[in-house]
Amino acid sequence: MLNRRKFTTAATIAAAGFFAAATVTPALADYPERPITLIVPWGAGGGTDATGRMIAGLLEDELGKPVTVVNRTGGSGVVGHSAIANAKPDGYTIGVATVEIGMMHWAGLTELTGEDYTPIALYNFDPAGLIVSADSEWETAEDVVAAVKANPGKHKASGTGQGGIWHLALAGMLADAGAAPDAAPWVPSKGAAPALQELAAGGVDIVTPSVVEGAALIEAGKAKALAVMSDERLGAFADVPTLKEATGSDWTMAAWRGIAGPKGMPEEATEKLTAALEKVWKSDEFQDFMKGRGFGLVWKPGDEFAQWMKDSDASLGSVMKAVGLAK
Amino acid sequence: MRFNDAVFGVILIIFAIAVIFHTTTFPSLYGQEYGPDLFPIIIVSGLALCGVILIVRGFASRSSVPLIQLDDWADDRSTVINVILLIGAMVFYILCSEWLGFVITAMLILTILMIRLGSGFLTSMITAVIVTLVIHSLFAKILLVPLPWGLLQPVAW
Amino acid sequence: MDTILKAFALVTEPYTLGVMLMAAMFGLFVGAMPGLTATMATALLIPFTFFMDPVPAIAVIVTAVATAIFAGDIPGALLRIPGTPASAAYCDESYAMTQKGLAERALGIGLVTSVIGGLTGAVVLSFSAPALAEFAIQFSSFEYFWLACLGLSCAVIISTGSTIKGFVSLLIGLFIATIGIDGTAGHPRFTFGSIELMGGVSFIPAMIGMFAISEVLRYVASTRKPLPVPQQSMGSVFGGLGPILRKYKTNVVQGSSIGAVVGILPGAGADIAAWISYALAKKRSKTPEKFGTGHPEGLVAAGSANNASVAGAWVPAIVFGIPGDSITAIVIGVLYMKGMNPGPMVFVTNPELIYAVFIAFFIANLALLPLGFVAIRMSRQILKVPQRVLMPIILMFCIVGAFAINNTVFGVTVMLILGVLAYIMEENGFPVAPAILGIVLGSMIEDNFMASMIKADGSLSGFFSRPIAATLGVVTILLWTAPIILALKRMVQSKRQPQR
Repeated sequence: MLNRRKFTTAATIAAAGFFAAATVTPALADYPERPITLIVPWGAGGGTDATGRMIAGLLEDELGKPVTVVNRTGGSGVVGHSAIANAKPDGYTIGVATVEIGMMHWAGLTELTGEDYTPIALYNFDPAGLIVSADSEWETAEDVVAAVKANPGKHKASGTGQGGIWHLALAGMLADAGAAPDAAPWVPSKGAAPALQELAAGGVDIVTPSVVEGAALIEAGKAKALAVMSDERLGAFADVPTLKEATGSDWTMAAWRGIAGPKGMPEEATEKLTAALEKVWKSDEFQDFMKGRGFGLVWKPGDEFAQWMKDSDASLGSVMKAVGLAK
Repeated sequence: MRFNDAVFGVILIIFAIAVIFHTTTFPSLYGQEYGPDLFPIIIVSGLALCGVILIVRGFASRSSVPLIQLDDWADDRSTVINVILLIGAMVFYILCSEWLGFVITAMLILTILMIRLGSGFLTSMITAVIVTLVIHSLFAKILLVPLPWGLLQPVAW
Repeated sequence: MDTILKAFALVTEPYTLGVMLMAAMFGLFVGAMPGLTATMATALLIPFTFFMDPVPAIAVIVTAVATAIFAGDIPGALLRIPGTPASAAYCDESYAMTQKGLAERALGIGLVTSVIGGLTGAVVLSFSAPALAEFAIQFSSFEYFWLACLGLSCAVIISTGSTIKGFVSLLIGLFIATIGIDGTAGHPRFTFGSIELMGGVSFIPAMIGMFAISEVLRYVASTRKPLPVPQQSMGSVFGGLGPILRKYKTNVVQGSSIGAVVGILPGAGADIAAWISYALAKKRSKTPEKFGTGHPEGLVAAGSANNASVAGAWVPAIVFGIPGDSITAIVIGVLYMKGMNPGPMVFVTNPELIYAVFIAFFIANLALLPLGFVAIRMSRQILKVPQRVLMPIILMFCIVGAFAINNTVFGVTVMLILGVLAYIMEENGFPVAPAILGIVLGSMIEDNFMASMIKADGSLSGFFSRPIAATLGVVTILLWTAPIILALKRMVQSKRQPQR
């Protein structure tokens, strides 16, 4: 009984589909009319995934259509970023763009740059930290830099893969202090968590992920943050000095995350998404979540975000060239 | 389809040479002796070594094992068609699912394969439609996998 | 204690119990269908686990596997076709019992020993994994490098068939693992400009291909007749079991412990556990001549061994991220996806999740008793489902599963290529299990080797500078050289003999 009914329904729908496909072209009458896909270029459990899922959930309430998170991982972010850029620019596929978009093309992994996207909004900004083991004899950032300068090659550092954002943070810091950028050799790791574990196990001496990523280990008393590589101290870690306060260096480095779509999205969709995102960003739920986890908050919609990507791209490029990571 | 071990030996050695040749284009790691080419070279060297052993063994057994032995299924035309059809079905999905959409592609694949494997025409059609709709509701509706709509986009439900 | 209570609450949530029940029915069906293995059941379940919380996701896999391994006994006893490779060891034995008119007794023994074996395995897992994890927390890249090497060596030694072909299979797996952006230098290897390949060959489509697609290929490539439907109806399943189990209680204990240990060894799973246990029971028996004639002794031993190994395989998988069998190779992929990265840290950060996995094992095996009973009673109906309809449906599930991991048809391409590769390999006597282990452990070996070299300033002595690393290293090297030394010894001896 049921089978037959299903069959007829399906047949009708299928027939209607063939017919309709030939005659109707989709229009953006009331965007969004169907579920939206949010591509996250990094794996489940990480910061990008966590913030992306939070945004997707809140955006869903705002737009009234499901927002599905899709993790497209691998290739140091190339796979996911390419998927966002190459998606159909109809407003139904957007993604989280991260700082790596300004690095990958310098490393020769892809042709993509921030110009290949429709910027929607920047929502997060996390500066790098300088973290050492709790029982380390180093008490200040000055100590670390001095020790590395005195014994180039002796002290090992980690935080992410070779040429990743946190590697740049360390290399740039050392270069700014007048040391060779590889004076503390980089031990590549699969992200911040394994690097922190190596720090705890005594495998490396210095790690430079964002302070947020080290928070659990710092709170457990196994590590200490000596500096944060930004212009201002962080709200959640007010007792950690900035690098400028600690060593006088102007060096800053931060990871950022924003929402972007493929280039050439319809204006209506972009506007609607930006407005919805602004509401999401300002909501107590989002603010509480970000502050609770220690993520830095920043809001730069549309063109401001585009300019941000451009600046970030240029500064990353000059650092990568300086430390020999650009191709 | 069975091959003499020597055939695999030759394939492995050719493969190893090609890979080693390709690894020469890899950059060396900044300030390190070992680069990204180290492991691929070790691995394919192992494969080449195994290839040599396989050639020796295959050569020793050449009287009993022919180079290529197309056993029972390759003799039988119908199973050859089965294999080609199965692989073809996957290739068809890879190439056409985005354009045709999941529902149409899946129905076509299921119907054809079921008929080919010996089910009746009508049973196959009906089963294919039901299975497709069940899979589609399960994955696209409940689990929110973005299965492509393709041609059916305007009537997406 | 608090953690255990929390874990218990997680597992006994109605949602979790509900999906476990469905998984049990699915596992019983897949296990009972000849040609569909427990590993395939796991591979087919993965797309569903994407959308579950970690605990239900893992519980679903645990349940489906436990039930599938038992259900493999059903067609073995009734049709002399093992439902899964894990039942192959004693398939003739149980079929001989059926011919004597004791089908329900054979299946009853299979069910009860499966439950006992499964519970024993769960106990071994619950006690050994946390203890090992405590120890493993001191491990750094040096120790992990050696551990991964040990795992790979085991895979080749244990793999069935020729050693050289096992080695080729392992190297193929390791090579596949090098595809994509390498972890050390960030250079794309063997991607030939493909952006999709930069992310590497992802686990899950690879596993679906190698375990499910190769099986579907094998089905369509064989001119198989439809399965016969067993004729006799079922009598009392549990009748007369008590005396048999009492009589062969040492076999139950032995089988369960062998199973758990074989499970822990990387690369060896339920099928090998059953073979070893059956062979040992025969060797130790007072009446070895009765084996093969429908004698319960071997059935008891092997029936408990295969289910015990299932839990054992999770020990290295959770503690080190080294799969104990092909099922846990898939599980490791799922754990990563759920942010529960295997390793000692997960015991510190998410102990309740780990304990929930243990509890799921106990619940699944206890539930097997009534559910297995129902499955035995329904066995004729289950075996009536025609494979010519089932196989295309499985193909469709595989395609959707491979697509869903990254929402790209590239996953389907990976599945297809590796499925054909696995099929050709198996047809020519190359075991597939070592290749799987190679794919899973490849990056672990390379990344840890590279990190260690940088840490030790390019000196190989670093690999022996820490006590645990040195021990593991020596054991590994002994394992590699032992066969060569033995062979040389034999050569020397055989040369001497003629002189005598």
